[in-house]
Amino acid sequence: MKPFDVIVIGGGLAGLMAAAVAADNGQRVALLTYGSGSLPLASGAIDFLNAKAPDVAIKNLPAHHPYKKIGLKACDAAAKFFVDIAAKADLPYNGRLSAQIPIVTAVGTLKYSALVPESMDASNLVNKKKIFVVEIKGLKDFYAAMIVDNLKKIFPDKTFEVAKLDLNLLGGRDITCMDAAQIISVNEQILADGLKTLDVGDDDAIIIPPIFGLEGNSSRAAIKSQLRAEILETTCLPPSPTGIRLQRAFIKYLQSSGVRIFENSKVVRGVVDGKKVTGVVVENSVREKVFPARKVILATGGFYSGGITMRDFDQPREPIFDLPVFFPTGAENWSNEQLFSDEPQGFSMTGIFTDESLRPIDESGEILFENLHVVGANLGGSDFVFERSAGGVAISSAYKGATS
Amino acid sequence: MEKATVVVIGGGATGLGILRDLSMRGVKALLVEKNDLVNGASSRYHGLLHSGGRYAVKDQEAARECIIENQIMRKIGKSCVEPCGGMFTRLDIDDEAYEELWVKGCKDSGIEATPITLDEAFKLEPRLSRKHVKSAYLVPDAAVDGFRMAWQLVDSSKRYGGQVKTYTEVIGFDTVNGELRGVKVRDQFTGEEYEIGCDIAVNAAGGWAGFVGKLAGVEIGVQPDKGTLIAFNQRIVNHVVNRLHKSSDGDIFVPHGSITILGTSSMSVPNPEDTSTSRAEVESLLKIGEQTFEDLRDFRILRTFAGSRPLYIPPGGAVGRSASRGFAIVDHDNDGLKGFFTIVGGKFTTYRLMAEKMCNQICAKLGNDTPCRTAEEPLVEEVSQEDKDRAKKFFPSYGVNLAATRLGVDRFKKVVERLESDPESRELVCECENVTRAEAEEICKDDTSFIVNDVRRRTRIGMGTCQGNFCALRAAAVFSEMGVEPTAKDSLARLREFLQGRWKGIRPVLLGRTLRETEMTRAIYELSMNVKGGAPQ
Repeated sequence: MKPFDVIVIGGGLAGLMAAAVAADNGQRVALLTYGSGSLPLASGAIDFLNAKAPDVAIKNLPAHHPYKKIGLKACDAAAKFFVDIAAKADLPYNGRLSAQIPIVTAVGTLKYSALVPESMDASNLVNKKKIFVVEIKGLKDFYAAMIVDNLKKIFPDKTFEVAKLDLNLLGGRDITCMDAAQIISVNEQILADGLKTLDVGDDDAIIIPPIFGLEGNSSRAAIKSQLRAEILETTCLPPSPTGIRLQRAFIKYLQSSGVRIFENSKVVRGVVDGKKVTGVVVENSVREKVFPARKVILATGGFYSGGITMRDFDQPREPIFDLPVFFPTGAENWSNEQLFSDEPQGFSMTGIFTDESLRPIDESGEILFENLHVVGANLGGSDFVFERSAGGVAISSAYKGATS
Repeated sequence: MEKATVVVIGGGATGLGILRDLSMRGVKALLVEKNDLVNGASSRYHGLLHSGGRYAVKDQEAARECIIENQIMRKIGKSCVEPCGGMFTRLDIDDEAYEELWVKGCKDSGIEATPITLDEAFKLEPRLSRKHVKSAYLVPDAAVDGFRMAWQLVDSSKRYGGQVKTYTEVIGFDTVNGELRGVKVRDQFTGEEYEIGCDIAVNAAGGWAGFVGKLAGVEIGVQPDKGTLIAFNQRIVNHVVNRLHKSSDGDIFVPHGSITILGTSSMSVPNPEDTSTSRAEVESLLKIGEQTFEDLRDFRILRTFAGSRPLYIPPGGAVGRSASRGFAIVDHDNDGLKGFFTIVGGKFTTYRLMAEKMCNQICAKLGNDTPCRTAEEPLVEEVSQEDKDRAKKFFPSYGVNLAATRLGVDRFKKVVERLESDPESRELVCECENVTRAEAEEICKDDTSFIVNDVRRRTRIGMGTCQGNFCALRAAAVFSEMGVEPTAKDSLARLREFLQGRWKGIRPVLLGRTLRETEMTRAIYELSMNVKGGAPQ
């Protein structure tokens, strides 16, 4: 096999982004995926940091934080690149790094992100007169009454109404947002007709579960054109159509830009020559195969995706290159008493430390491989949940890793 | 003033057993519990229905009691008992001489212990260590569900007029001239304090018996002894697997449905409220456990939990593992307080016998000569095949049986009617434990459901593989809609509290695939749902 310019290991947000950036730079790219990454779990909104102005807050982070290695310039470029290719794949996003946009969650709180799908952007909710929260008969996991109860605490002066539409979805089994989105992607008119039965004024908003199809913006656009009120999607329990839309948008973009995607390809180890990685070994059900590469991007994720594993206490591992993994030692530093804590969780800070080109380093700071770049959730030094940086670190480290 | 002939203090197996026994004998009885039912050792344990094998050498009286009660429980609590059988295995590091003593002890205590070849043992329990296991015996151990048994005891008691008040804490006693007149209590949610008049009060508060005694001015020798256990996400064993050696930490595995519980440690603690667990305890249990099952660490741990056995310490008696697992009944008439009894010690397997003996004494005082019938009458009627068949149209037969045993005849009928008439009520709120929305609603609207954890204990929502990742949102939402208590309305607080409860048991076992689940919990609830609320500052 002819060596690829870049091999990206991992099909989550960081891997998809890295492959897109590398391809955009004219490189011959292979993307090796195993499993579906964590996008089906995610809202699709890209959090950068839990601060009014993430770009300002990034400057004040400690030196070991991934953003400090990545730098604000790459973060900015990554955000622009992201919004740009999402738009090319017909998935419009709003936002920038200097502000936050609210979206409505499935429990009726607001969640704030720097870049959000247009279909979820709840910035204008404050200006609305009446807010309709729409349940779909037979659709599971969407509880309009609870959403209204909790939204009322944020918007005490607004009028709310719970509405229930029957779109004939009830069948022999549970219907999730994924199922509903699938149905609506082939027949958006049933939702449009249902929403039209509501007594909605121009200044009102409609909140629905995330069911505007599974691909791009076409279902939403078709429905939106028939109604004057603003329609907003919420987040939901996984699998999440809004996360899957983003995943599909990326895959569509990668396919159009010539990236070779090898699914179900489990990378078991690297092929190395001194400080150089020359390829990776992929294992499928029947055999092992070597994929030669000039540069490798490791986007295998953290504990959730198996990019970092830990069978025994205090012994986390990076299973492909056996890279040194930074972690807080001892039970008392590993986790906090509260699950939803006011401090970062130690276990979530676990990961690989790198230089400014995101190449893995050891304890003394020495670069371990010159052409291996670590991106996404396997980077150490940040609790992406606590600080709300999951998507931001993924896309900006991917951008930096692919351009370094 | 509210009145009962007997007030039973403590909603564990012993207290509930007494409530049932008294009610069946026609005595007006009321049980008060400061938390939810079986919040102490009656659920924080292995869920092992002892054959008595464990006590065959050290305490043959306890062993004999166990095997008799074991047979009774299988009969009266059929749907609470999983008759999986038990196996005792001696490892190469265990004392051979003990095996002989044990075989004789079982024989003397009336416990059938059948020797089997190692080949048979490995066939029955393929994961047993081929390196270490040297001999094996089968005994009639079984698994028993403490939660289910508790609710069935309540249902049975209610049929005979028994009453239960949960989240009702005893704060004092009303006595006149050394004679008990009533029990003073406080409602844990409203803070309201009131008195329940009674002739007799029974202190069956388990690990808390000492505190309750103090309120009445009597000294009770009870030592809370904390035991830590680990729940694995798989059924690692088919039988209850015991180490054949002198009883020690971490030497019993009990299968329950789709999980396995390993335990336990034994540590004297000052406070029975201490249900904390630590990485060190988990590590030590795993170290012992992997002597019997070498690949133990490859299984995903669901959580760890701990409870305190209420060990009875007679004046000058032993503590810890050498303390007796027997029980004691104290009539405090001898301490100058007429009408006040304490029952303490014992074990889950013999709760019925303890209750019987306690009630015999109470009834003698009351001049009631109705005999005890708790060993003959089943706790609950069985759900009819006809009702089960109706339910099977809407969910898998595995789930039907779970729901039938959880709900009992009357509630099951109601739930099936809901399933038939409202298709939306058929959705699964909890996939792991097969709980339909109809069932969740039925339990949520019960006036004993104050927080989502109360619903969890009765439905098992959140206790399975996902540990609440998917069902927490649904449970909090259904509860906020259906719950009758004002606490139900604050859905975000209930949701956080529920997940925090799960977290408590996950934290000390945060490794392997459990880490993965935790990252998922946080991604869903902190990132996608922002359950903490608030905006960036």
